[in-house]
Amino acid sequence: MENIIEVQSLEKVFANETALEDVSFHVKKGEIFGFLGPSGSGKTTTIKILTGQLNQTGGKATVFGEPVSGMKKGESRKKIGVLTDNSGLYSRLSIYDNLKLYCVLYEVPEQRIADVLALVNLTEEKKKVVSKLSKGMLQRVILARTLLHEPELLFLDEPTSALDPVNSQHIHSGLRELKARGTTIFLTTHDMNEAELLCDRVAFLNKGQIRLMDEPGKLRKQYSDSTMTVELKNNEKVVLTSTAEDAGKMFDFMSSNQVVAIHSNEPTLGDIFVEVTGRKLS
Amino acid sequence: MTFSMKRVNAIFQKDLKDILRNSAVSLTASMPLIIAFVMGKMSDDIAVDGHYMVINIAMVTVGSFIQCCLIAEEKEKNTLRGLMLSPASTLEILGGKSLLSLIAMMIIVLIGAFLTGYHPEQIVVIAIAILFTSFFFIGLGTLLGLLAKSVMEASVIIMPFMIVFGFGSMATMFADKYPILKVMDYTPNTQLAAIAVKVESGIGLGGVWLNFGIIALWIIGVFVLTSIVFKRKRMD
Repeated sequence: MENIIEVQSLEKVFANETALEDVSFHVKKGEIFGFLGPSGSGKTTTIKILTGQLNQTGGKATVFGEPVSGMKKGESRKKIGVLTDNSGLYSRLSIYDNLKLYCVLYEVPEQRIADVLALVNLTEEKKKVVSKLSKGMLQRVILARTLLHEPELLFLDEPTSALDPVNSQHIHSGLRELKARGTTIFLTTHDMNEAELLCDRVAFLNKGQIRLMDEPGKLRKQYSDSTMTVELKNNEKVVLTSTAEDAGKMFDFMSSNQVVAIHSNEPTLGDIFVEVTGRKLS
Repeated sequence: MTFSMKRVNAIFQKDLKDILRNSAVSLTASMPLIIAFVMGKMSDDIAVDGHYMVINIAMVTVGSFIQCCLIAEEKEKNTLRGLMLSPASTLEILGGKSLLSLIAMMIIVLIGAFLTGYHPEQIVVIAIAILFTSFFFIGLGTLLGLLAKSVMEASVIIMPFMIVFGFGSMATMFADKYPILKVMDYTPNTQLAAIAVKVESGIGLGGVWLNFGIIALWIIGVFVLTSIVFKRKRMD
């Protein structure tokens, strides 16, 4: 499958601080690639380099086969959509007027506004002035603006960080729909559930270095201790392994109708991140 | 570099809608008109320098101050980043952002001139001179807006420039006592007034080319600086 993003030994040093060190990865066409890490790990710096907002100090990065310096050209920008935590809106204008401006800038028909507003669940609010919107609604308008020109590649920096669970789910289903249409998504998040739900592959970034990279399912299996916890009616919790002896115990619990619940002890991505980096995600 | 008038117009339309809801800007834009109204009421025979005090104040207030605040607000609210990441080119973004200030400045200059009763001898030469000088004031506002981090900061850093380019020509009266003030003879506002004085005495376009040349140097300087700063701001 074609690689949309290719990064080799990327490095970024600010004055005395190394933000990225020997970062290498690739993102295939049509996949959702999760770039996971705590605040300050280098996620946003990577997005800024890949979108031509920041120059790297070392290494190579290409997007659509072109060096990232080419991302400053208008035609390249039409292929990408960028949502970062510092994306802004015109507060005295309505949602509709904000989007209308970007329709002209990206040369897309105004009718497209209705599609993106439906995707972010804001159809009814289109005439609302931006200054009157909640943080979650603002985030959704910015996402709508990012999707307006149907970019082939989306850079989403914490897209659901300000959203409630209902709207997060709405956005997740929208992103899955975009993926189904062939959109490639580079997603940074520190929400491990979001990464598990959406991402085909994830990379764990810590202190500017990639510590682990694979499919979420493979990582969970790799770090699993192959145990399960069985909750019994007498409130006892028993941890069982995949041995013949424990299989017998399990048979006894079930045949005597003592089992209330069975939990897999497969680690979450969050658990794996903590194990690999020794840091919590926040 | 691409150029699409549609994009320029879209940014202009957006700014127009935005500015109509911004009372601070409307209030600032009316300041030169208040001065013009008072001057017009005080005397029926205002000297050319008097007319140009109003015109220069209008240009620096609307062309530079408002432009500076518009750009600084885009930066403060992170909306300039959105424009920079869009397919719009530098020329389209800065052109769109400048168009509103340019049109507003021209309207305020015209109303101001009407209120002070200014009737130039050669209206075409004066119109060209004012339009030409306005590029400097817009460029100055853009440059300072790009340098400022917020609207508040913009309104502070532009003050010395408003004094120099708005009222600076008055300082030349004290040039005999303080020779350093002779520098003010070469500022765009003083050169504009000088063109007007020459035109009033019957000199045509051929006699004011040096004044135009000096203004052109200021325009080139401010546009080169603006271009450098914009390119640096495009990158974090």
